[in-house]
Amino acid sequence: MSVTGSDERSPLSDATDAILAARAADGDLRAFEVLVRRHGPLMRAYATRILGSNSDSDDVVQETFITAWERLPELQDPAATKAWLMRITSRKAIDRIRARRQDQPLGEWDAPAPESESPHQQAEAASQRERLTRALGTLSEAQRQCWTLREIGGHSYAEIAEELDLPPSTVRGLLARARQKLMQEMEEWR
Amino acid sequence: MAMTSPHDGHADNDLIEQLSDYIDRGETPPDDFLNRAPENRIAFDALSRFRSMAQDILDEDVSAEPERDDSWVAGILTNIHREARAGRSIPVSHSSPKADLSLTEGAVRGLIRAAGDSVAGTFIGRCRLEGDVTTPGSPVTVNVDASVFWGERMPQTAQRLRDAITTSLLHHTELNIVAVNVTITDVHLRRNPKDA
Repeated sequence: MSVTGSDERSPLSDATDAILAARAADGDLRAFEVLVRRHGPLMRAYATRILGSNSDSDDVVQETFITAWERLPELQDPAATKAWLMRITSRKAIDRIRARRQDQPLGEWDAPAPESESPHQQAEAASQRERLTRALGTLSEAQRQCWTLREIGGHSYAEIAEELDLPPSTVRGLLARARQKLMQEMEEWR
Repeated sequence: MAMTSPHDGHADNDLIEQLSDYIDRGETPPDDFLNRAPENRIAFDALSRFRSMAQDILDEDVSAEPERDDSWVAGILTNIHREARAGRSIPVSHSSPKADLSLTEGAVRGLIRAAGDSVAGTFIGRCRLEGDVTTPGSPVTVNVDASVFWGERMPQTAQRLRDAITTSLLHHTELNIVAVNVTITDVHLRRNPKDA
């Protein structure tokens, strides 16, 4: 079995996540490769959303899958593989951010984002996704991370508080400010 | 609480926090709360819209990404530790008493998966060898989970799997297999039909 990926579609690519995760837990590298191909791009997109840029997202995805391989035997519900991978991804992404800001407690990086371009210049933004992405760009990093973990990752306040090492009340406030800012930004383009 | 003028168009933070509590509990605020002021309804609609946009945004991000070469996959696969899954060591007899041969449990699981996958329309999932495989001749039961292609007749498919696994283990190992139990845990469809 070759370790390098081949362009040939694996016969396993029809298998469900549950089957692939169980096989990978038993040591089947080919099954794991199918999981990597199936979910890697989504994990990269998620990491990019949390990090705010894609400069480290490939590293986060790599760390995520290496950890996933090691912990697969502990995965209780192999059918929930995607949610489990997203959880590992968010943790790895936050570890990155924490490492970047070693000298600064996480709670204190709630600095305002740089001024955005005027809404009029952005009026022609094509898709909803682009508009939301630009609006997210006006949030502080902490606001954006809380919003991303909550709305994209589906984490509870308590989980976000634990991951970001903040009190839940701070998370609630950051989320509300994030949402308020998004409303302002998005409304101005309507 | 700071009052919001009905004309400035911006919901205040307090309102957003209250609405957030409802939304994040998966609830809709009561009608009398939403009807109390127009901005309550506007804010609730906006927050609900952001939520539904957020559900799709990663898939859209993925679609917007240009095709990439395969190196990222190889980068991951070369960095994982495969030895961790070897499992128990199964002795293999040899004519020379000086030879000490053995097979890993992981290799036997690989044989079982390969045998199962050769049966059309099935995939083996989890695979367990129950019994003392480290002592030659002791009874061993094989328990496997399997997935069958949608529409396959399960009893017949399970029997074919049992036969394929039994035959393969008889050929390739000295294990004393007393039973092969197949549990169908999943049904799969063809994915990516365009590639098929």
